[in-house]
Amino acid sequence: MLSSLASVRSKGVSLTNAVELTGIRKTFGKKVAVEGLDLAVAEGSMTGFIGPNGAGKTTTIRMIMAILFPDEGELTVLGRTSAVESKDRIGYLPEERGVYKKMKVAAFLKHMALLKGVDSNGLHQKVMTWLDRVSLADVAKKKCEELSKGMQQKVQFISCVIHEPELLILDEPFSGLDPVNMRLLRDLIDEQHSAGKTVIFSTHVMPQAESLCDHIVMIHNGQKVLDDTLDEIRSRFDPKAVLFEPLNGDAESVERVRGLAGVSAIRESRGGLEAVLGDGADAQGVLRDIVMSGAMVRVELHRPTLEDVFVEIASGQSGESKQAVRESLHTPVGAGAGGEEEVAS
Amino acid sequence: MSRVLQIAKREFVSTALTKGFIIGAFVLPILFAALIPLVVLLAIGAKAPPIVGEVAVIDRSGVIAEEFESRFFDALESRKAEEKALIDEASKSAGALGGGGASGEMAQSVIDNVLADIQVSVTVLGNDADVDAEKDRLMQPADKDDPSRRLAVLVIDEHAVAERDEAERQPGPDAGEDAGELPRFGGFELFVRPKTDDRTSDVMRDTVREAIRDKRYDLYGYDRGEIQELNRVGGATREITETGDERGSTEDLQQMLPLAFMLLMMISIMIGGGYLLTTTVEEKSSRVVEVLLSATSPMQLMAGKILGQMGVGLSLMIIYSGVGMGALIAFAIQDIVAPMTLVYMLVFFLAGYFMIASLMAAVGAAVNDMREAQSLQTPIVMFVVIPYLFWLPISRDPNSILATVFSFLPPASPFIMMMRVVSSDPPPTWEIVASLAVMGLGVYLCLKLAAKVFRVGLLMYGKPPNFRTLVKWVRMA
Repeated sequence: MLSSLASVRSKGVSLTNAVELTGIRKTFGKKVAVEGLDLAVAEGSMTGFIGPNGAGKTTTIRMIMAILFPDEGELTVLGRTSAVESKDRIGYLPEERGVYKKMKVAAFLKHMALLKGVDSNGLHQKVMTWLDRVSLADVAKKKCEELSKGMQQKVQFISCVIHEPELLILDEPFSGLDPVNMRLLRDLIDEQHSAGKTVIFSTHVMPQAESLCDHIVMIHNGQKVLDDTLDEIRSRFDPKAVLFEPLNGDAESVERVRGLAGVSAIRESRGGLEAVLGDGADAQGVLRDIVMSGAMVRVELHRPTLEDVFVEIASGQSGESKQAVRESLHTPVGAGAGGEEEVAS
Repeated sequence: MSRVLQIAKREFVSTALTKGFIIGAFVLPILFAALIPLVVLLAIGAKAPPIVGEVAVIDRSGVIAEEFESRFFDALESRKAEEKALIDEASKSAGALGGGGASGEMAQSVIDNVLADIQVSVTVLGNDADVDAEKDRLMQPADKDDPSRRLAVLVIDEHAVAERDEAERQPGPDAGEDAGELPRFGGFELFVRPKTDDRTSDVMRDTVREAIRDKRYDLYGYDRGEIQELNRVGGATREITETGDERGSTEDLQQMLPLAFMLLMMISIMIGGGYLLTTTVEEKSSRVVEVLLSATSPMQLMAGKILGQMGVGLSLMIIYSGVGMGALIAFAIQDIVAPMTLVYMLVFFLAGYFMIASLMAAVGAAVNDMREAQSLQTPIVMFVVIPYLFWLPISRDPNSILATVFSFLPPASPFIMMMRVVSSDPPPTWEIVASLAVMGLGVYLCLKLAAKVFRVGLLMYGKPPNFRTLVKWVRMA
């Protein structure tokens, strides 16, 4: 029964919204962190909040969790007006996360579970099962401070799902993880999603969102700039270029490509050249023509990544150069995370 | 509510059930108590400095020098005997505690080591000796164990024993106009080297004083023994308890009671409050706080933490006061603490604790690390130190204006009221009630203020806040 429901949900058919935000505004002193945010997260969806550091993702999530309160606007979480009333049904993994260093791993997990209303009967078994699943059963009696950072992240993830929440909110869940642990965490998140849980996670690393989410919300400078399914976004931002690489960089074939119908310009691109398509050009036709234009090492449709889409939208909206927007996506974490520091100044 | 209790439980367990806490709270005090006899033994057994050298006597009265000399040697002998007796006694009690035969040997070696090396000669100089020249010899460097080293110069006044007659008492022509009459008797002057051990100069001073006094008795025809008898007045204060029993006076103990009760309360509150501050700072700096906030509201978190540490402070207070009461019962003087006092202690503890702890929680939530906490914590600690500074005037005069004013000045008031209700003159009931009402208000305000700072501060990282920022947070929340 549950699995059939889950499969219905995973196809994007949703009955209600897990989270709804209308006209949310939040300021810290003079700085506006979030402005006029409307948002609906469908039940059973896997939604990614993406945007550069300092865009307002964490602030939005904290408001959903009722840790911060909006200055204006309304929000409902799992049908209630405040997450305070439904904290037992939400699993939250904050961006700023830690563990009690001196506490033993199992004791910490039990403490968190009890705080989230899990019955103490059979709790030990539950904790051990989870630890076993992430292959940490042997550290149950160790102090949290003895664990590596990756291990601590796993423990934190368990503390976030041990009460079997309906809604998972994960703020930058992959930050600081090595590839192996990143994959493990991805599988765990995927599993929760397949079990029908609603998952919201934020990241400033777009490829992560791209590989996990079925729904994307882009936030830039405190405003929502894009809110759609991944498929819709991909089709909306159709391929506008064909990537090609002539054998030995043959200049003649480049010239032939430049002369093709539908190609408006040639520009340098990552590891090759890009034939920019004119409006209404037939991408498939151009692709075929390029193959015929000379000896090619590779020819492929350039599919826009989320990052490309983001850069396109953000630069179009704010007037910043694409380069500047792209760079803002790659500033290290912590350089401008959240709007909190401003309040203290 | 169950969340608050779960947080309180964790807070208590992770604080009180740790090795560090148990050692600090129980093992160390017991260890100190056990060390006291040893420390006493060492203090008594501290080797007296050798007395080696020469005491020069210039006797202008002409009758003291000989008397001084003979008595001085007797005094040194009896001092030796005293030292030996003290050491014997101390080593006996140490032996009783240590219970080993080794302590006997130890005591013997202590005695051998401790008894001062005494080699003193008394040189009686002529009546016309030059005092300044003799004093100069005190400045000359000399070996400490050189018997010819000048140890002191004792100058005895011409009229030390025989009084001045009427004419001699008039101030001389050189004296200033307002110079009064000279006293009937003269005395003595004792010149010693700087850093002379006080025990050595005490012996010399006492000896010469007694010698002069006895010579005066002789001269004026009094009987030495008779006068001594006349001076001796025996007596003792006896207390009659409510049950009609008699016992020795406990007034010294009773004078200490207000301080003892206040200190006990203060220690319990400061330990509980201190841990609250530390754990809050830890939760913030280890970034565990937002994880907690995913399950609880900030208010539940603060309430749980305050309750948990209240358990810590309360346990300490109950255990320590239990030991104290046990001691009083052992000496059968438990009635000096009225049962109501213990009730007051609990009430005042709670009032004081909630005020101090909520402020500590606010400070803990506002800062990034313990170093920053120190400066913000200082004003809170001040409120606790004030009662300590004023304990003497307040316990002497528990109804003075000072005491009354402080009784209505939370967060200091619980400590002040504790001293006052235990004192010899407790305040009237209306004042206790009124003070409790003000404390209640204080608790309410502190909790409210702390709640606001706590809520905003928990997720603030970066620049340490100053008071202006804190005020801003209170307005914001």
